[in-house]
Amino acid sequence: MTIIQRDNLIFGFIALGSGAFLLWIIPAYSPPYPGYGVSASLLPNVTVGIMLVLSVLALVRNTLSYLLVKPRKPEESPSGNTSIVDKVQLWHLARFLIPCVLLMPAMQWLGFIPAGLVFMLVIQYFCGQRKPVPAVLVAVGMVGILYAAMRYGLGVPMP
Amino acid sequence: MIEVIMAGFIDALHPLNLLFVLVGVIAGVVAGAIPGINGPMAIALCIPLSYYMSPVAAIGFLVGLNKGAFFGGSISGVLLNTPGTPEAAATTWDGYPMAMQGKGEKALRMALYASVTGDAFSTVVLILVAAPLATVALYMGPPEIFALICLAMTIIAGLGTQSILRGLIAAAFGVLIGTVGMEPVSALPRLTFHIYQLERGISLVPIGIGMLAFSEIIIQLEHYIKHGADACTMSFSSKPEDRYISWAEYRGLIKTLLRASIAGTVVGALPGLGAPVASFFAYDQEKKRSKTPEEFGKGKLEGIAASEAANSAVVGASLIPLFTLGIPGNVAAALLIGAFVIHGMIPGPLMFDQNAQFIYAIYGSLIIANIFLLGVGRIGLKSFCKVVQAPAVILYPMIIFTCIIGAYLAEYAVFDVTLMLFFAFVAYFMKKFDFNHICFIIGFILAPIWETSLQQVIISSEQNPYMFLTRPVAIILMCITFYVVVKSIRGSFKKALSA
Repeated sequence: MTIIQRDNLIFGFIALGSGAFLLWIIPAYSPPYPGYGVSASLLPNVTVGIMLVLSVLALVRNTLSYLLVKPRKPEESPSGNTSIVDKVQLWHLARFLIPCVLLMPAMQWLGFIPAGLVFMLVIQYFCGQRKPVPAVLVAVGMVGILYAAMRYGLGVPMP
Repeated sequence: MIEVIMAGFIDALHPLNLLFVLVGVIAGVVAGAIPGINGPMAIALCIPLSYYMSPVAAIGFLVGLNKGAFFGGSISGVLLNTPGTPEAAATTWDGYPMAMQGKGEKALRMALYASVTGDAFSTVVLILVAAPLATVALYMGPPEIFALICLAMTIIAGLGTQSILRGLIAAAFGVLIGTVGMEPVSALPRLTFHIYQLERGISLVPIGIGMLAFSEIIIQLEHYIKHGADACTMSFSSKPEDRYISWAEYRGLIKTLLRASIAGTVVGALPGLGAPVASFFAYDQEKKRSKTPEEFGKGKLEGIAASEAANSAVVGASLIPLFTLGIPGNVAAALLIGAFVIHGMIPGPLMFDQNAQFIYAIYGSLIIANIFLLGVGRIGLKSFCKVVQAPAVILYPMIIFTCIIGAYLAEYAVFDVTLMLFFAFVAYFMKKFDFNHICFIIGFILAPIWETSLQQVIISSEQNPYMFLTRPVAIILMCITFYVVVKSIRGSFKKALSA
């Protein structure tokens, strides 16, 4: 995907999202006007309106640029607008986010220490740790220190 | 007044406060020394801990953390050629060549002394300037504050990012998220999607940790898993002239340090520009002034001195707009607003009336943090150098676990962990699509002040749309905002059409 394609995709998404907010989400989830001061929906409407206008402007700019400027080969582009962009790595994102999402429910079912240990081992594996002894030592050390700090140091109710 | 000042400084000298400032400085240097971890990230992770401290200790701890991180960033820059923080990038240009020549320790000592000098200069300016400026700021009414926030967000979006369109969109998105929760006039839930936990609003902690720390680690892990860790150049000569900065060498650099400190203070006092701009500017100016500019980039002390003094001067100076106007100069100051609010204080000109003793306690903490930085840096320099070798495969999982527990600690709410992960997800995409998450955070922090001032304008003017026309300062500020936006958008169109 080139930078221009990526920009069009994201600005189009923002424009559509802003439209949805203006037409549906803000009216549906804002309290009615109390009869004095400013309507509760004014500031959300203004900010979403700004996002809509700016994203449409960006789309217009990209369209004009596409129509009026002679297309160049990637290596000729001075601004680098046609270069390949840094890719979104969904699998990479998922393999770190999913264990994090599961950690809190796991702590409620299994307890802080077992769930924390399993979590630390899984995350270390995803980070590239393949040596079992350092992995276990880091997991036990980190979970133990945080447990002691939360339970005995700060007196925090455990998750 | 003298009693208040003395009481403030005595508060700062409380043993517990001294301990927390010291811990903050050490933690900041360690965090800054680790490539990829910076001051704001460390502050975001540590804000939940500040809940358990007194207000003075909490702010002193966070300020110490920030100061330490600014110096710590230069350690990995000099030894790895990988700046630990963006503002340390200019330091690496001369620091790394010095390390290659076996003068790594000397380069780091120069960075330390320059950091302390720049920081001390900006702290003195803050102390001298903030109170008089706050007195002037007290004459500003809601229309001026509303217009000033518009201008500040525009400047931050325009100067702090490559594209004002993206910066403004990010800031507007931040303001939108800031409106979630109880609406201030009707006290009814707004944009909560019937999720009761959102009725109290979204706190800064999950946003700060998710956007500044968690998402950054996920992105850095992409690089680490692909390319592995950077190699470390740990080469220290044993000759004293290659290890220490003599008094004569320091004295010879006084003018450089002073010029860089002034540049850093001016840049830091303006919202949005930030420490990287200050250090690059000061380095560039010093190179232009030098009689031997060809030696810059090959291990010249002036380069390190200029860059470090300028970026450290930003720390104190960024508190000037925070204390006088309630507007953060950079993201670290924005996070400090969150810490102030947690402890029941609203940063702004009224603080000098309502919490004068607290302000002087912070001034005291700033000075103490600077002295600690000098001591800690001198004593522990070699130990801190070992931190840059900490293996990422051990460090990153620990940071991820700390992020989750940190988000929980703020209000003992599992929902905050979910929010933290959500905002990490959002920040991941924002970074991939070149939207500045700093603009988002500043927009989020300024949203309540912006809305309150708008409410006050409309209520006090009895919904008169021409209210702003009766306030010349507000008109001027709005005109500048409009001019900056139109000019930047026009420039963006011109650039796209001429490419």
